[in-house]
This record gives sequence, structure tokens and C-alpha cells, in this order.
Amino acid sequence: MSVCLKLTEATIKFGGLVAVNKVSFELKQGDLFGLIGPNGAGKTTCFNIITGVYKPTSGEIEFNGKLIGGTPSNKIANLGIARTFQNIRLFKSLTVIENVVVGGFLRHKTGLFGAMAYLPAQIRETEKLRAEAMELLKIVDLADMASARSADLSYGMQRRLEIARALATQPKLLLLDEPAAGMNPQEKEELNVMVRRIRDQFQLTVLLIEHDMRFVMSLCERILVLDAGTEIASGPPDAIRNDPKVIAAYLGQPA
Amino acid sequence: MKFWLGRTGSILLAFALCAGIQLLADQQSDFVQRLIVLAGLYVTLAVSLNLINGITGQFSMGHAAFYQIGAYTAGFIAMKFYAGAKLPPELWMILSLLTGAAVASVAGLIVGLPSLRLKGDYLAIVTLGFGEIIRIIVQNQPAIGGAYGLSVAPRFEMIWLVWLLAILCIAVCRNLLKTAHGLQFLAVREDEVASSAMGVNVTRTKVTAFLLGSAFAGAAGALLAHFEGFVSPKMFTMDVSFIIVTMVVLGGTGSITGATLAAIGLFFLPEKMRDLPNFPLGNLVATGIGIVIMVIGFRHIAANFHGKMVERVLRYLAILAIAVVIALVLGPIVSKLPTLGVPVEGAKLRMVVFAVTLIVLMLLRPQGIFAHHEFSWAWLRKVLRIDTDKKVTA
Repeated sequence: MSVCLKLTEATIKFGGLVAVNKVSFELKQGDLFGLIGPNGAGKTTCFNIITGVYKPTSGEIEFNGKLIGGTPSNKIANLGIARTFQNIRLFKSLTVIENVVVGGFLRHKTGLFGAMAYLPAQIRETEKLRAEAMELLKIVDLADMASARSADLSYGMQRRLEIARALATQPKLLLLDEPAAGMNPQEKEELNVMVRRIRDQFQLTVLLIEHDMRFVMSLCERILVLDAGTEIASGPPDAIRNDPKVIAAYLGQPA
Repeated sequence: MKFWLGRTGSILLAFALCAGIQLLADQQSDFVQRLIVLAGLYVTLAVSLNLINGITGQFSMGHAAFYQIGAYTAGFIAMKFYAGAKLPPELWMILSLLTGAAVASVAGLIVGLPSLRLKGDYLAIVTLGFGEIIRIIVQNQPAIGGAYGLSVAPRFEMIWLVWLLAILCIAVCRNLLKTAHGLQFLAVREDEVASSAMGVNVTRTKVTAFLLGSAFAGAAGALLAHFEGFVSPKMFTMDVSFIIVTMVVLGGTGSITGATLAAIGLFFLPEKMRDLPNFPLGNLVATGIGIVIMVIGFRHIAANFHGKMVERVLRYLAILAIAVVIALVLGPIVSKLPTLGVPVEGAKLRMVVFAVTLIVLMLLRPQGIFAHHEFSWAWLRKVLRIDTDKKVTA
């Protein structure tokens, strides 16, 4: 299996605060990898340096054999990394299907001037992107909400729509930032099945942040635990569950 | 084949419409002709600013600057080259329009590139400043007339071209929004971080919007210069920028239909008010009380009544009737009082009426008349169907 994403001693400092401190890990093609840790551990910051929101202070990020540290977000998306957001960031006043079409837009081939003239090539392309978006909406079970305003969806639906929007960019690596937050147990169960299914169907590598231990343990094949920006443990779920350092980080040191 | 037939048809229809406007305007007085031209220019300005402010969400307040740049460019090249060029007026006008648009869009690029890193209020301040800077620079250039202004040699009264530009501007914005290309502008308005993560080049999208918007404003400026036969810095003060922003906000930020209708409405409203007769002060006071009652009543219904559409509309009409009756009955009565019997000059009240209209509309519908909606036949059918559906369920 080829290496998909590799972080080598990635570090980012905000003034005196070291938010991510020399974190190294490696994702193989097809991995379901979990990133966990207490609040403020640097998990989302880790996502932000992978997706180009922040430039790492030092260290290297390699995606499919290419160094990507400091590349702008939109170029990273073009390279094949898509993400969802912890605090849902949908295009609120657009409809559900329009949100997904925006995700697919990076594969457009027609020019802007043609769009201003509404030429047949642009019309066909828009129809094609809408059809592809509709297929993705079926996968995340939102097809019958296609023309609703995305802000009107329920919380769980909004999270699924974010996944569909990310999938529309046709990524190789999908980053999910707390996909199960705010979902009820049944929705979590469905999400678990859905993440596996899309991983297999689209041959994705998935890196996810999650607080719900049961969800992470049942879904991920490997887990990395961060605390205060530093890696404290990594390995398969069973090893993590019993790791004294992890228990200490979550529950505090025994007196 | 069917596509091109339809397309040719709609282009011919646009030309026919403009020719119709020209024919109608030809029979009117100079004053009315001028109103028709300025209304067309304001439609272009409002719709092009809507592309920047409403659709892409970049709050720009310096649109008059691009208008001015277009006007002066046209005036300047007419002064230098018109006599030597010996071109037919139509061709010259189209060339001058394109030049005005090109120069204005270069200016748009120059403001756009550095200032688009700013957001919201900060961008508004920078663009406002830019508008004033352009005006003051022009005011101090003797070569282009300075504060006295520049006379533009041939005057053309191509009313059809003014409206053709307005229709073109509307069509371009509408077409963009119908394709996936337009969605990236909306995405940038909604969330820059998320659109960037979806592969949208945020900076390029914003600059494109600025380029397009300022190009249309510049073209409108070129038409203005040749219609008036004269341009001066006084024609492009901050007020003009504010009026255009008001048109966009009032019409509903992001709605092309809204911007168009608000531009026409806001332009003609103060003009119509010129004919207002004189009346006693008491009537004015009573009308004011009537308006306040109407606003309070409407807001109360909007917040507390959730019943059927028809009953809702009936309640609105009832409040409106009460307000009108109060204004009409109370007016003559309070006018009997000594101080309230003084006559008021109606024509001087036109800007007050303008301001009150804006305040009332913003109180009752802060999202603008059309909000994010556009007019379309499908939309009209939907609205009508919702109404009938509700009747059925009732």
C-alpha cells in the first residue's frame, strides 16, 4: 500500500503557543485513521495545516509524494484533499444541491465569458455537475432535500451535506472534523456505516477527528492521540483504550 | 439549433425593446428624455454594483468612481480623437463605451487587488475613500477641465444604447447565476474559508466581480458623458455612490430583479415628488402619525400572526386603511390649530419623502424588497400555487 499522507515533525506556533508540536504520522492508501484528544489538543489545527489554512512553522507535510506545506487551500483541494468543518460551514443561503455543485466546480473546464453568454457548453457542464451532485446526495441520503435551503436542514443532515460537498471535489483524502458531533446514537450508527461505505466506494483515505470514543473505536483502524499539541500515543483502538497516558490525559492523573 | 433560434430571438427582442423605448422617448420633452436615460444608467449601475455587493458580498461604496472614470475617459478620447476619426456616431459610441469600460475595469483591478484582503466595514471604508480620491484628483487636473468640468464634443442621444447596456448588464448577471460559474461568487459571499477548501480561488473570484462591476459602471459613464455633453466632478460625489448602494440594499442584496426595480423606483420617486402641491402643515403631521401607526401595525402582524396567507393580507390591508383614514381625517382637523395651518411647499419635501420611504421599507423589510429572490416564471407559478394550496388545506 502506498503512502497517502505523511506528516514529519509538523509544528505550528502562534506567538508563544505551540499548538501542534512535532507531530508525525503516516496514512496509507485506504486507511481509516482517527485523531483524538482533549479539547485544545491541536486536532483541528492539525487539519488546518494539512489543508493550507495555516502554514506550518516547521516540519514537512507530504501528500502522494509531494510536499504541500504552505500551499493555499484552493490548490490543496485541487490536489485531492477535501474536508468538513467542526463548526459547520455550509453556504447557508444556497440550496442543498448548489452546495454540492460548488464542491464539484473545481473540475470545470469551460470559461467565464461563455458563462456570461450562457453558451451550450456551460449549460451542459452545469447540468452535468448537478447530475453528479444529485448522485452524491443519494449516497448521503439527502436526495429529497435537494432544493431546500441548506440552513433549513437539521444538524445531522447539515453534517452529511458537508460530507457530500467534500466528496464532490473527488478527493483522495477526506478529512472529517467531528462528523458525529450533535448526532443521536442512531444517526451515529448510520454515519459509521456511511463512512465505511464511501471509503470503499470512492477508494478514499479517511482521517477523522472525533470526541465520541465508542464511535472512533468502532470505526477507525488506527488512532493517534494528541494532548497539548504533542502526540502521546498511537496504534490500534484496543491498545489506545488501555494506554495509561491516554486515560490520564482524559481523566487526569491519579492522585 | 433550437438553442440558437431561441438565443437569436431573445437578442432581437432586446433590440426591439430598446428601439421601442427610443421611439417612445423621441416624442417626449427633453426633460423626460433625460429622465429615461438617467433611469437606464442607474439600472446599469445598481445591477453592476449588485454583482459586487450582493452576489459576491464585497461591500463596495465607491461605485461612482468607476462611473466617473468611464465618463472622463469617453470625454477625453472624444476631445482628442473624434474630429480626426470620422467614424459614424453609433460606431464611435460603442468604441467609447468599450474604452470607458476597459479603463474603469483597470481601475477596478487597481483598487481590487490590494483592498480585497479587507472584509465588510473595512472594505467599505477603503472603497469610499477611493471614490473621493478619484474625484479630487480629477478636480485638480487642469488638462481635463479641473473643477469646471469637461465639455464632451458630440452629444449623442442614443437612448436605445443606454437601455441596451442595462439589458446586457442584467443578462450577464442573470446568465452567470444560472451556470455553475455563478455559484462560486455566491459561495465566496457565504463563506470564504469553506469555498477556498472546496477549491474556489477566492481572490480571483472577488477581483473578477470587481472587474465586471466596474466595467459596466465605466460603460454607463461613457454614455452619460456623451448624453450630457459635459462632465464635471460634481456629478460623481459620494451621494451618487450612496444612492447606488441604497438601490442595491433596498432591492434585496443579491437580487438582480430587486436592484433593477429599486433603481427605477428610487430614481423616479424624487422626480415625481416635484409635482407635489402645497398643503397645510397639519396634514403633514397627520400623515406622519398615519405612517407610524402603519409601521407598528405591520410589524405586529409580521411577528404575531401565523395564519393563512389571505387572512394575513386582509389584516395588512385593514391596518393600511386605518392609517389612511387617520391621515385623511386627522389632517384637516389639526390644521385648524393656529400653528399647524401654515402651508408647506410640497416640492421641497421630496427628499424627506425619499428618506421616509427608505426608513419605512427598512423597518418593514430589512432584507430588501426581493431579499435573495429573483423573478422567474417558475417562481411566479410557485408563489401562486402555494397560495392555492393553502386555500385547499383550509
